[in-house]
Amino acid sequence: MNPLDILYGAGGAWLAAAVTGLLAGSWRPGLRACCGLSALAGAAATGAGGWSLVYGDTRVVAPGPATITGGPLQLQMTSLAGVFVALLGIVAVAIALYVPRYHEPSRGTGVYLAACNLALLACLAVLAAGGMVTFLVSWETMSLACYLIILRHPRSGETARGAFWFLALSEIGFLLVVAAFVIVSAKTHATELDVIAARGHLVPGGWRAAAYLLALTGFGFKAGLVPLHVWLPEAHPVAPADGSAFLSGVVVKLGTYGIALFAFRLVPAAGSWPGLVTMGAGAVSAAIGILYALRERDIKRFLAYSTIENTGIIVTAFGAAMVFHAYRLSALSAFLLIAGLYHVANHGCYKTLLFLEAGVVEHATGTRDMDRLGGLVHRLPRSTVIAFVGTLGIAALPPLNGFVSEWLIFQGLFQGFRTGSHLTAILIVLAAATLGLTGGLAIYAFVRGFGIPYLGMPRTPKAAAAREPGQPVAGPALLAVACAALAVGAPVMLGALSRTAHTVTGTSLGPLLLPGKLTVIPAHTNFSAFSPTYLTVFLVAACAVPALIYLAGRPRAASVSVPVWDGGMVSFRPRMQYSAMTFSAPTRVTFDALYRPSVSVRRASDDDPAGRSGPVHYEAQVTPVFDRYLYRPVIRAVEWLADAIRPMQSGDVNLYLLYVFLVILLAYLLGAV
Amino acid sequence: MPLWFVRGLRRGVVTTRYPARRDDSAAWLPTPPAFRSRQLTREAADRMVAVCPSLALSRRDDILVFDVGACTACGWCAEAAPDVVTSSGEFELAATVRSALIKEIPIQGDEP
Amino acid sequence: MNPSRGKAEAARRLRDTIAAQFGRSLHIRTLDTGSCAVCEQEIRLLAAPHYDLQRLGFFFTPAPRHADLLLVTGPMIRAFDVAARKTYEAMPGPKVVVATGACALGGVYPKDPFVHGNVGEVLPVDVWIPGCPPSPLALLQGLGVAVGRLAERTPGLTFIAGPAADGGEA
Repeated sequence: MNPLDILYGAGGAWLAAAVTGLLAGSWRPGLRACCGLSALAGAAATGAGGWSLVYGDTRVVAPGPATITGGPLQLQMTSLAGVFVALLGIVAVAIALYVPRYHEPSRGTGVYLAACNLALLACLAVLAAGGMVTFLVSWETMSLACYLIILRHPRSGETARGAFWFLALSEIGFLLVVAAFVIVSAKTHATELDVIAARGHLVPGGWRAAAYLLALTGFGFKAGLVPLHVWLPEAHPVAPADGSAFLSGVVVKLGTYGIALFAFRLVPAAGSWPGLVTMGAGAVSAAIGILYALRERDIKRFLAYSTIENTGIIVTAFGAAMVFHAYRLSALSAFLLIAGLYHVANHGCYKTLLFLEAGVVEHATGTRDMDRLGGLVHRLPRSTVIAFVGTLGIAALPPLNGFVSEWLIFQGLFQGFRTGSHLTAILIVLAAATLGLTGGLAIYAFVRGFGIPYLGMPRTPKAAAAREPGQPVAGPALLAVACAALAVGAPVMLGALSRTAHTVTGTSLGPLLLPGKLTVIPAHTNFSAFSPTYLTVFLVAACAVPALIYLAGRPRAASVSVPVWDGGMVSFRPRMQYSAMTFSAPTRVTFDALYRPSVSVRRASDDDPAGRSGPVHYEAQVTPVFDRYLYRPVIRAVEWLADAIRPMQSGDVNLYLLYVFLVILLAYLLGAV
Repeated sequence: MPLWFVRGLRRGVVTTRYPARRDDSAAWLPTPPAFRSRQLTREAADRMVAVCPSLALSRRDDILVFDVGACTACGWCAEAAPDVVTSSGEFELAATVRSALIKEIPIQGDEP
Repeated sequence: MNPSRGKAEAARRLRDTIAAQFGRSLHIRTLDTGSCAVCEQEIRLLAAPHYDLQRLGFFFTPAPRHADLLLVTGPMIRAFDVAARKTYEAMPGPKVVVATGACALGGVYPKDPFVHGNVGEVLPVDVWIPGCPPSPLALLQGLGVAVGRLAERTPGLTFIAGPAADGGEA
């Protein structure tokens, strides 16, 4: 029995779920059956992923049934993929628990569920791919299935645009990934990933760099590195909540998996500059992602930009690991790889949770606009608590898992001075500083992202009408438990990940990571130390102290309950609360040069000849920098090129005969040569 | 800044010592009137009641009811009946019960 | 905290209790219920160096939640009822209400559709400080009475002058 057998089971179950969904998705029992199969498959995948983490050395290559290309389907289960497979499993289970209460059974839902399960299967195949062809075919299948997922509700042009951006950028990325794979495969004369990795030294330095850069860009389109990220904020709001959760939780991580695959297994670089480039790209993505997140009122767009930020953090960790590897600091390199993978698992859990909760909010109130919400803590109490756990995680606040993984990444980056090269050390410090800025802005952004919709008073009647019964709770609750488990069980997780790092980089950290049972140190004993378990226990105990003081010294007099002091106003209206945009106004002012907002103010008194006052319309639009200055010019250039070539297709038969003649002439000449 | 500091030191302490010690500026405060009961006639009382702008004075039979709390120390009653009214010089007028501020002044000027 | 009117003895006992708690440190919240703002100017002078409220342990605070004493001026216009009640209720007990100025004590403005005239109609007043405006010295004496540091002098005053002499205290 090896993980691959379990994966066959999981894959089969997902296939069955897809078929069930397609055939029986219009009936509620069919829907439940499909979700049940999907959840089973997810649990199996989690098991397989966990197994391959624990028994990191299990690596089985099994030729599977033939593919359309005639060659065997090559599958393997590596421990690098183990984290991703476990994440895939848990996300699948959570979504499967969520779907029955969120979607209504219908023909469209049936197709949607089939696409979802197909996408899950394709993701599994990508992660378990042992050969180049398997990888690429599964990758493309995943992209197409995700396109169908995004198109679940084609009711407006917005949906089509979001799906189109996703597909277009996916395809461009795919092209670059194919190019990268072709380069390494041609140079090493093999298509199995293991063989390519073993023969990596056959690839000359220039081609290595080219292959890596192509892979970074190609996978960066999927992962959401700036400026390749533009599909994320377009596609996430229009997809259904569980679709967005799947996209952000798993699909984006597959982009980072691809980067890690090329960086650590296929073309590990000898010099440090690929690592520095990766690290820089990650740091910039993180900062820009969170800065744009602060200007969003739509909850899902906000979460999409936050995904970009976290991808940046993961890629920064991977890049720094590559840099340390180039400087022969293998312990630190392994440490940062572990930190990056841990952040992958953490982010997958809490981002999926937050997207599912955003779906619950949209389902209950009918709107995604933060400025129309408020007071949900009273109306959706369980969802609020779960969303709070997710928010604590993503804001990297102790004692939850986000804090642990970000602490690890920071501790790794702070040790950049050990490289010995001043330039590298400075660049690593800059990356750490950028991540620090990102961390602070992330807390700010998520105080806003949790406080404005959930706390306070409802700003509109729609928000006041939200009701808890009937909302999906089990799926998000599972993920909240997973977040807490990842936090408290950090030593266990890190132990498993260090075995992964050993398999991937050949370095065993062991006592350099976990000297005791519960303490974590960053690869060197004299730098710092921290215990997530003790921290959790301490924080819980610290919360008990004020409670005890209150109970012991409770005032004896009768207490009076009066309304909140509101300045003595006669009627306190909910619209007098902070709005999402005013809360983030300080960043708009500070980072004005980045946002370049275009502001238009129209006053009713401007039009009135007597100058009587009336409503004032204020509109501020963030300039879409990447769209306008990067993509539009490229699109215009392509269109120009197409226009220039169009005369060739004139429709004139004589011209076409001339083409035929010329080609035959050319063929004769080439044959003669 | 140093000049200001030196100037302040030269001037000395300007804070009043009240309530521990008397404050001399209290002598210039406008205060509610005191009435010479012996010289108060009914007719003078009616004149003062008519002219008081803040409803502090009213007459009930042979008593001039003076509400110290309502008095604004405007001095119009003094103009209306100069031989009756004099300044009381009292400014420490806080009361815990409102009725303690309503004083009754017997009208004794009419008697022979 | 104000007992029903007429129970001067109970008020005095209360004053002793309050004096024990507030005698050395008191936070004052001012409330303008429609005054002409001259009383406010006198109150503001209390914080100036000449009268210096803080040497006596009194402080101004804008937040009713932090206040011990509510210093009310103005004739209590009816539009302000809700705000006055809310301010009073927002103060945690024990609390003292001091009405100051001729307007607040019922003079100048009789009761009419817009004005209560007397602050005591809406809030339970513990100490009344007459004056128009009350000088800062009078305010200091009133605050001292409110916390029990100074004795009340008004019950002993008759405002009846002798035949030919100035002054009129008995």
